[in-house]
This record gives sequence, structure tokens and C-alpha cells, in this order.
Amino acid sequence: MPRIIACFKWVMDEADIKADPKSRQLVLDRVGYKISDYDRNAIEEAVQLQEKHGGSVVGITVATPGAKPCLKDALSRGPEKACFVNDPAFENLDPSQTAAILAAAIDGKIEYDLIICGEGSSDLYAQQVGPALAEKLGIPCATYVNKLTYVEGENKVIAQRKLDDGLETVSVKLPALITVLPDLNTPRIPSLKQVLGAAKKPVDNVSLANLQQTFEPCLKTTGILAATMERRRLKFTADPEDIRKVVDSLIKEGVIA
Amino acid sequence: MAGVWILAESREPTLELLSAGIDIAAQLGVKVAAFALSSQLAEEYIKCGCDEVMLLPPLAAGQPLESYVPVIVEEALLNGPDIILIGASQRGREIAARAAAALNTGLCSGCTGLRLDQEKKQLVMERMLFGGAAVQTVVCETRPQMATIPPRTFEQAQPAEGHQGEVRQLPAAPPSPVTVVERTPKTSEAVDITEAKTVVCVGRGVGKQEDIALARELAGVLGGEVGCSRPVAEDLRWLPEELYLGISGKKVKPDLYIGVGVAGQIQHVSGIRDSKVIVGINRDENAPIFEAADYGIVGDLYDIVPKLVKEIKAALKI
Repeated sequence: MPRIIACFKWVMDEADIKADPKSRQLVLDRVGYKISDYDRNAIEEAVQLQEKHGGSVVGITVATPGAKPCLKDALSRGPEKACFVNDPAFENLDPSQTAAILAAAIDGKIEYDLIICGEGSSDLYAQQVGPALAEKLGIPCATYVNKLTYVEGENKVIAQRKLDDGLETVSVKLPALITVLPDLNTPRIPSLKQVLGAAKKPVDNVSLANLQQTFEPCLKTTGILAATMERRRLKFTADPEDIRKVVDSLIKEGVIA
Repeated sequence: MAGVWILAESREPTLELLSAGIDIAAQLGVKVAAFALSSQLAEEYIKCGCDEVMLLPPLAAGQPLESYVPVIVEEALLNGPDIILIGASQRGREIAARAAAALNTGLCSGCTGLRLDQEKKQLVMERMLFGGAAVQTVVCETRPQMATIPPRTFEQAQPAEGHQGEVRQLPAAPPSPVTVVERTPKTSEAVDITEAKTVVCVGRGVGKQEDIALARELAGVLGGEVGCSRPVAEDLRWLPEELYLGISGKKVKPDLYIGVGVAGQIQHVSGIRDSKVIVGINRDENAPIFEAADYGIVGDLYDIVPKLVKEIKAALKI
């Protein structure tokens, strides 16, 4: 029966991010937060494996204390317990820090057979934390997995990876780490009962002091600017005259010939 | 050898990174080394300006390419490169992330632009954030400085007259606990969407799979190709996955992009950002595609596309 850890990140919803057109600064004061898109697939896969094979699912995240609402959200999706590794210092972490903090919080403290992460986070999309965590823990990993099977009694998983040049099915001895693609499953939408039940599930709070280590960044961000795109934004209707105007313009621009 | 190291899965991305590496190495006054999977490639890399090639011995049967990670890490520990540039294929991303973790150094993933800060001898690297809504500039405070770089970010290095270099054989990779059970190579589609001068993109606004014919007809009169948004390929599976455009899919730079029923989520727009002219067709006048378009046509695509085809045919006299 696999003991599974599902990693997730609480991120700003990129759809809410606005930019000041003059300064190109991001306007973040009205953004909502969500569980990073592909991490929902990671949690869903962990829970589906548990429903099929038994075992356990712990959700783990590294965040600032302000990210507390993420716990109810994650737990309503099925894990029986959460590990909330939080500290005011855990803001704007670089991927190497997140991986090192997760490794410190997991190694020797949580028993596991399988760790599941999303392919990448919706904010940074560095796609580093999964494989870097595996390396820190000294366990094998398979990335970009779109089909996952736990082989009972053999202590291994069979994972199908979807890569640029085709599909690759690999056999991986446990303990191991898998990063998953969104086409692996469809994350469930928690019911009201599950949302209410989530509040009663246990949460382990782990602080920086508990980890007895320091975590220095490797990358330094020297700037963040809104991506600009100078477009004319001309609007037309479906009237034949309007359509003709568009076609004439495209011919004038030399993109139709 | 220290200096700038290049690692990519295949020939073309290696040559692309090599041209960037040669440029940076010249500014730093250091040499360029590349990893190669065959002696034939090793020779070609040297001809194209590489000072040293580290030849990776063939893997045992059933071992994935990522099995080379311990070999790469060991070489980096022994030789202390200043910079390692890695091709951002999926395998390349995994290799880079694991190597960076093992070397306790920083990695700029999906680096879309880089320059050298001469004074600090430091790479200044750019990458996308929030699905492409923002650009992040980072520097790496640890060594080696690492980056994964998407294909076609740089031009390929060209053969330089009489350039000499050394080939060094690396030790075999230790057996990996990950073993390959089966491989299904991608059946190569005839179309490379990134080469098309005109791209007509199918979005969720197209109601039925057979209605893709509308987009095909439009692409046909324009001599272009049909692409799609991620859900059309991944959720609906109406078109092959190599045709979806976006930050996680193909990045295209056509002269003309026409989005047919494409809403214009930021993740999609990131993949079409460099198009010369963008046309969006959507019934929702508040669809984000109109923010990203030069020409926005608000209305029913089933009405608009045939009219467009008719007008184009009339204008081009076909």
C-alpha cells in the first residue's frame, strides 16, 4: 500500500494580474490565489492511487503563513493530512530553495513510497522543484508523466512519459518521485461535504526553526516587468464591408499574397 | 576544462547553444566545451567553434538519456565550468534541474534571452513568468551559472575555417534505477507549424471537430497551416499535440496569425507573441484575444470565416 506525498504550491491566479501600461509594473493588489493548476493533477493522482490500492496521501506545501487557505483547498481534494511548511521568510523562494526546504521537511520526517509533483507551477513554471527534490532526497524520478500505474507487490511504478520525440514508458523502483502532466487525469471538484470535512483534517505545521537549516537563494531576481505587446487592437464587425477592410489591410501589410 | 559548457539532446539545439556559448566565452576570455553523443557530432561541433568535446559513451540498453546526470555532475565538480547552457527539451529540463540540485547552484529555466554583465562576469538572463504575462530578469549568484534555453532561441553556429579542438571520452554512466520498458517514437507529422508563414489557429469557439474544415479552408486560400490551442489538442484531441501553440507548446512567429474562436489566454498568447500580424475572431467582444490582436473581428466565426475566405479569394483572384 503506497504512502504518497503530493506536493502543491499556492500561487497567484495569473488571470487576475494586471499591469500598469506606462511603468510596466505588475498590479497585484487584487489577485486571487489558487492551487497551482498542475498540482491539482498531482493531488488527484495521489488520491486515485490511494482509492485503488489503499495506503495514505499527505499533501505538502512550502509557503508563507498567509497561504493558510491553501490547506482547506488541498485537503478538500482528498488527502487525509497536510504538512504546512511555513515561515515569513518563505516568500519569493527560488526553485532551489523550495526543493531544499521540501527535502528537509520530508527526509526522515515523513515516511513515503511515492512523491507526486506537478510538471511545473503556474507562476514560475521553472519545472525544477520535482526533479531537484528527487536529487536532494537521492531517489529516482520520472518527469512529464501522463499515465501512472502502481504495481502491487513489486514496489514499483510504471510511468508513461510524454516527451518531445514520443512516448517513453519507464519502470521505476520505489521510493521515487513523479512529475505529472495535466492530461493524466481530471481533478475532481470538491463537494460541499468535502470542503467542510477538510477543516477537520490534521495539519502539521513546520517552521524554518524546526528544520534547523538555512536556505540561501541561488538565483537573484533583478527585475519583473509586464510583457508588452504593441498591437493595434482595431475592432471590426462581421459586416461584409468590415471583412473587406480587414482583408485589404492585410494585403497592404504584405502578409497576404 | 572550465569555461562555457553546452549540453543538448541533438545536433541542431547543440549548434544553437554553441553560437551563444562562443559569443559569451569570447567576452569572458574562456573556452567552450560541448557534450556529444557520437564522434561524428563531436567533429562537427569542433568545426563549428567548440574547443573541447566531452564524448558521452553509449548507454546500456533500456537506459533513458537522463542516466547521464551523474556523469555530467561529476565532470562539472572536477572541472568547475563557469556556465552550463542546456537545451530546454523535456529531458534537458530534467537533466538540468537534477544537475543544478546536485551542484547546489542556480538554474534559469526556459531562458529566452541572455547577455553578459562584463563588470560582474555574470549572465543576465530573462524568462517568462505567470504564463507569459511578465518577464523576469535573474542573475545566478552561485557557480556554475545554469540555464535551459528553448530551441530556436539562437541561430546555429556555422563551421569556422580550420577550427581545432579536443575530444575527451567520458566514463560510462552508472546503471539508472529508471529503466525504459517501451518507446513509441512520435510519428512525424508532415507539417512543422513553426515554419508556416501563415497560421490559422483553432480554439474552443469551434464547436465540432468537423468544423475544423472551416479553418483548413481559410488556411488553404492563404497557403498557411492549421494550429490550435492547448485544450483542442489535449482535452478534445481534435488535432495532434505538436500543433498546439502556447508557452508549453509550439512557439510560432508567422507573418500572419488568425485565431478562429480562440479566447486568448495568456498561456496561448505567449506562443504567438512574435507573430507579425495577429487577427482574432471571437463572438465575445471582451475576449482577451482582442487585447493581443491587430485586427479583431467580433462575431460568429461560422459567419465570419466563410466571408473572409470569399473576400481573400476575390482579392487574390483565385
